[in-house]
Amino acid sequence: MLELIPGRVSQAVLLVVVLVAIYEATRIASKRKLKTRGIPGLDRIDGWIEEAAKLNRPVFFTPGTGGVTDPDTLAGLSLLEYIVQHCIQHNAKLIVANSDLQVQQMTEDMVKGAYTKAGKEKEFTAETVRYVSTRQFAYAAGVMGILRREKPAVNFFVGLFQAEALQIAETGRTEALYQFGGTTNTDQLPFFLTTCDQTLIGEEVYTAQGYLSSDPQAISELVGPDAGKIIAILLMLAGALLLSFGNSLLVYLLGL
Amino acid sequence: MSGENKKMSRGDLGLQIIIFGLGFFYAIVYYIAVPGVIDLQAVSDELLSYITAVLTAAFAIGVINLTRVHWINIKRKRATWMFSVILLVCLYSMLIFSLIASPFALDPNATVIPNSVIQFSTPIWQFLYYKILVNINSSIFSLLAFFIASAAYRAFKARSLEATILLVAGLLVILGQTPIADVIWPGFSVIRDWIMAFPNTAGQRGILIAAALGIIVFSVRRLVRYPW
Repeated sequence: MLELIPGRVSQAVLLVVVLVAIYEATRIASKRKLKTRGIPGLDRIDGWIEEAAKLNRPVFFTPGTGGVTDPDTLAGLSLLEYIVQHCIQHNAKLIVANSDLQVQQMTEDMVKGAYTKAGKEKEFTAETVRYVSTRQFAYAAGVMGILRREKPAVNFFVGLFQAEALQIAETGRTEALYQFGGTTNTDQLPFFLTTCDQTLIGEEVYTAQGYLSSDPQAISELVGPDAGKIIAILLMLAGALLLSFGNSLLVYLLGL
Repeated sequence: MSGENKKMSRGDLGLQIIIFGLGFFYAIVYYIAVPGVIDLQAVSDELLSYITAVLTAAFAIGVINLTRVHWINIKRKRATWMFSVILLVCLYSMLIFSLIASPFALDPNATVIPNSVIQFSTPIWQFLYYKILVNINSSIFSLLAFFIASAAYRAFKARSLEATILLVAGLLVILGQTPIADVIWPGFSVIRDWIMAFPNTAGQRGILIAAALGIIVFSVRRLVRYPW
């Protein structure tokens, strides 16, 4: 018979609670047509792409070293979808560099599809979406080389990044590009903040797609995680209070 | 953008069902077991092994893409075409020697490939891997030290209140890490520990909790709505 795996019961219950809260918050936001707080800098993406087109310089995008199973990479690809459409709209050349082979396939399919849909399939070449290397520092060297040689006007790097992030970002900074970064890796975030004109911090990487969308449903979905945050804050407060009075009930429940 | 209203075609519907079915299955397998009937964990592991097959095909696509991009460079005699020649020579020679003489060689028992070829290739592969690739990798990694220095210089300019707090906190942590700090004043290491254990950890956990919630919403959206 079906049975919950010991040690994961509380996680399953919490997941259901959070999902219900997110669904309800999204439903209410959708009904009331709530306005959400924006992410600073997202509205500048279009302007930067337009400027790149005017300067006749490419727009560069890389989703980092993550694979297709990394949520950061998938979130980066959502942003790429938006960037491709605006590059096509403004006739800006796009260069995408990948580290993971499956991500390479996905991005190639996505970018080629967008060009074909816009009737500009001739503008998509083998050099639009490039595979660099699966090895971390070979990838970093390859991306640094592209930034130096091709001199793009904008450097978008949103996805999963490790130590190579700073190398890419500092090279971009040296080349005086507009830089737009984003990651949930807290070890790399300080480097993003010091080198980028705009940075998506943590959760913003996943929600940027919603903010950029004109779809009311996607916008209302942004309210959902806030409901989850309220639950997390309440749990933390309850845990801190209970533990302060020597009660470890919550610790026991969460350990189930 | 992905969120815009799109009509779902039959193909999209089929993909939606596959995406939801597999995604839901993997989510459920993490929490639920069916002992005595079916080993769900084994099934999920077996399914994951198919990724290896997909990855192998993807590897060929990567090599093809690299070759095409650099072949165009050479053909059009662009400014950096010489580097493209070097890259292609390195790529294919490493590929050939790895297939013959690396730990993942195709025929390690010399059933098809003559033993003399393997013996000839082994020191070449070892040289290419250990004397060149590993060292170049370390060199690129070591560049980080210089990049960190320039990034830190930029970050530590006290242009605003936030930057000044960052500068002071950073200097205190750096000072607390040095052996001489405790000789000057033992309080430096205490301050360093406090900064790392409380404000730093609190900030990091805040980002991580929010990111985890973002992942849940993002994943659910991906599972239930295609095209994304």
